[in-house]
Amino acid sequence: MLRYAGAFRRCGRMLPRRDTNMKCDWVRQNILFYVYNELEDDARYEVEQHLARCPECATELKAARKFHATLSEMPVVEPTPNLLTASRMRLQEALETAQPGGFWHRLILEPGVWLRQIRMAPALAAAIFIVGFGGGIGATYNFLSARGGPVAVTDQPLAQPLESSAIAGIRSVTQEPGSNQVSIKYDTVLTQEAQGSLNDQRIQQLLLFAARNNYNSGVRMDSVDVLTQAPDDSRVREVLMYALQNDTNPGVRLKALDGLSGFVRQDARVKDEVLRALIADTNSGVRLQALRLVEPMKADSNVRSVLTKLAQTDENVSIRSQARTMLAQMPEMD
Amino acid sequence: MPADSYAVAIPVGEISRPRRAEQGSGNQNPTSYRNMRGSLAAQGNRIDDTSLIREAQQGNRAAFEVLVRHYDQSVLRLALHLTGSESDAQDVYQEAFLKAYKNLGSFRFECSFYTWIYRIVTNLCLDHLRKRNVRKEDAPVAVDASGEEYSRLEQFADARSGANPERDLMRRELGRKIGAALSRLTPRERMVFELKHYHGLKLRTVGEMLNTTEETAKNTLFRATQKLRAALAEMR
Repeated sequence: MLRYAGAFRRCGRMLPRRDTNMKCDWVRQNILFYVYNELEDDARYEVEQHLARCPECATELKAARKFHATLSEMPVVEPTPNLLTASRMRLQEALETAQPGGFWHRLILEPGVWLRQIRMAPALAAAIFIVGFGGGIGATYNFLSARGGPVAVTDQPLAQPLESSAIAGIRSVTQEPGSNQVSIKYDTVLTQEAQGSLNDQRIQQLLLFAARNNYNSGVRMDSVDVLTQAPDDSRVREVLMYALQNDTNPGVRLKALDGLSGFVRQDARVKDEVLRALIADTNSGVRLQALRLVEPMKADSNVRSVLTKLAQTDENVSIRSQARTMLAQMPEMD
Repeated sequence: MPADSYAVAIPVGEISRPRRAEQGSGNQNPTSYRNMRGSLAAQGNRIDDTSLIREAQQGNRAAFEVLVRHYDQSVLRLALHLTGSESDAQDVYQEAFLKAYKNLGSFRFECSFYTWIYRIVTNLCLDHLRKRNVRKEDAPVAVDASGEEYSRLEQFADARSGANPERDLMRRELGRKIGAALSRLTPRERMVFELKHYHGLKLRTVGEMLNTTEETAKNTLFRATQKLRAALAEMR
């Protein structure tokens, strides 16, 4: 119905005059909008022309106007001043504690809006390009240790630590034979290479990252291997303990155990970690190595209780017998 | 309801155009004329709205309160007529302006503030009508702020009483019938009819407020009037 009316309006053409019934239908369907003044001029003119000639449609118009007038008998009551004042006071009270969604809301939640509003898109684009380009160049650096000979090939300060989030993964770790020089290939967006002394903060950071996070167990192995040369550093020891506890590769765990060997006596946390490995490690080679590490401390009551347990329950015959032997050699405690 | 859902792309100043067209109508009832006068007066206020909105968006609560004063009487009038209850109308008023205050940051001048605030109000009123339909309440019986029931139509009759008690009685009876007929409409039909018939808005504006097209608003108005005519004919 209304679609037809709309089509009529769009065309702006009059319907054929001979088609009176069709015209009456159209007029009756649109009388309501005529009464509400919602017809466009051409349709309005058409309706008025038809009403002047068609008494039936004119009657319909009267009925529509009567309906309109009847409905208007139920008026819109203006709110009383009391109601308005009470509503305003109530709102004011609530606004005292409400948080406006204003400038800061837009700034924080819709940065696009203020970026658009300040209308600096070309300048911003240029600035972003320059920063990005500079950042890209800065990221592709090589550096060498200042200590022990090799010279840094970039002016990047060696002491500046790397953002661990910027390291995507470590590709390889190699140490030059007979020196403390380490070469590490690691990925950011592009694969990069860093060279430096084992004492270099950046190198240490990469090694620590590789030992903990790398997807390649060979690289973790190399990292832990290199790190075992600097176990005095508490961070290195943390990483070695972490590797002993969590690394999925038994070779890496064994390396970590080697690195920790000198600290079983002096660091209680290392001792506990080795004892945990002795009981819980799934690899018998790791457990055997741990057993060797704790041998000098077999008088320790904790060690002794672990040995007693091992002598009874370890699935490996060799470990059970070694534990028994160690217990037998132990001096009697009071 | 997130404020973003209110945002539609309407050029600023859209409201004033259909209203000017309405001025030339020869078929307006007295109620529409009154509303029109109110809206024309409000147009002057709207000139200042942009700076007020910007100030309010930057956290100036006084500017927001001035904005509220520009629109709150018509908001309260709509809510009162639709809900038939002073306390419900107050609730709609309160909730609408608080929502506007909290979401003012998302107002991007894509439509007039008038359309934006009315969109919030009509949504709240629609929720109210839907809830009332579930409760099957009788429309013409209203509850005032103190909780006492009264008939708004009777109140209206009383206001004009003195001249002809018989006429008052007839008016009350007719008011009751109209109220009952209006309560048979769906919430959306009721809203479109309310905004068009009682508040004199253009269907194009009604469509914008209800997030729909002018054509849909037209269809809804047609359906609503058919239903009302049928309902009132039954009651005679």
